[in-house]
Amino acid sequence: MADSGRDRCKTGIAGLDSILNGGIPRGNTILITGSCGTGKTTLSLEFLVHGALMGERSMYISVTEAPEKLVDNMITYDFFDKKLINEKKLILVDLQEIYVKLGLEKLEFTLEDVNILVSQIVKIVKELGIKRLVIDSITSICYRLTSKEEIREFILHLGKELSDLGCTTILISELLHSSEGYSQYGVEEAIADGIIFMGNLERRGDLLRTIQVIKMRGTTHSRAKYVLDLTPIGVLLAPLLKGGSSEVT
Amino acid sequence: MGVTANVVGKLEELPSASSIAIKTGVNSYFDVLRAIVDVFPARHDLYVFYVSSTIPSKNIENLFNLLGIESNRVFFVDTISHLMKESTEFSDRFLYIESPTMLEYIMLKIEYLVRKYTDKKAVVILDSVNSMSIYNGSKIMSEFLHILVTSLRSWDAYMIILSMKEQNTSEIDAMLNMVCDDIYDVEEVE
Repeated sequence: MADSGRDRCKTGIAGLDSILNGGIPRGNTILITGSCGTGKTTLSLEFLVHGALMGERSMYISVTEAPEKLVDNMITYDFFDKKLINEKKLILVDLQEIYVKLGLEKLEFTLEDVNILVSQIVKIVKELGIKRLVIDSITSICYRLTSKEEIREFILHLGKELSDLGCTTILISELLHSSEGYSQYGVEEAIADGIIFMGNLERRGDLLRTIQVIKMRGTTHSRAKYVLDLTPIGVLLAPLLKGGSSEVT
Repeated sequence: MGVTANVVGKLEELPSASSIAIKTGVNSYFDVLRAIVDVFPARHDLYVFYVSSTIPSKNIENLFNLLGIESNRVFFVDTISHLMKESTEFSDRFLYIESPTMLEYIMLKIEYLVRKYTDKKAVVILDSVNSMSIYNGSKIMSEFLHILVTSLRSWDAYMIILSMKEQNTSEIDAMLNMVCDDIYDVEEVE
């Protein structure tokens, strides 16, 4: 499998870069998927902060959280420096503001609306020279799309344009506990270049946060499940012990 | 020589980043603690990352104070206080895990301390393999110890696993033989 030659976008999360044989292949659009409280937002913010620290301009497009609240969350990291935001190395955007600007304050999008939204995101990425992008969450955007075809078109179009710009993109996908597969609409997982699944594993009454790379185009990678901890120095991973576990989620 | 001096002597023989199981009886326990928490780490200026699964960390700290052991260099990974509903202090010096069955989180808390406190090397103490074995089967315990010992070696840290003779089983002995570089059987001193 194609490990050779492909430039990597190091996540800066030691355990994850090791699982991915050096990082996410640059330009990939990947889905980080899981139910609430599994650490998706924390992991993706850390990806951006490390990118900004390494000199790659990074952007977080939030659908659900106000930028100020995100900053409050990031302050708990030992490695976070507020200068990254002041110097616009890390840019936080409220998607609602983009909707307003584009006149897209409606519950349902047409295909034309989807294309307008994609063009606007790509324009921002291009103009600001963004190398790392997180959209949190893709599920809440897809909620406004009326068919699986529109969702497919949206993610394909977005992924292609961003990849051409050399931007590595994380799309956060919210899963319900009852969901089957790795995405809410079943389309996202098929189109994305990679899927990182974050879940909870119950073992004799203990609930462990887990992470597993399901697929990642352009690199060989581990497919094993790891346990993660969210610490002030960032996300840490340890191998899930196999000595007799039973899984629920 | 007393127990403390003997244990320190044994630890001095070890190459850096070794793992050792110390089998001690209850009567020698405090002397062993003095050796592994105080004398040896002070001599080599090491941090002590102390995994407690028998006694809550606050009680151990009080014990150290009674014994006159300097505990500033000690960081606790406490797996028992949550179960006992003991009052807890939240800081890097007292990291809590909900249960001794959450073995991966013990590894992660140790990794956190090793990665954060990089100005000195560390010795990691597991107290004790016997109480951990009450909560965990031998298969998962062996796996846990093997990964922990291997990780600590790569981080250039010592690993000391305490084993209480009165609670030992052949299964625990076999496990320690398999994962540790050395085993030291403490002779009781009258």
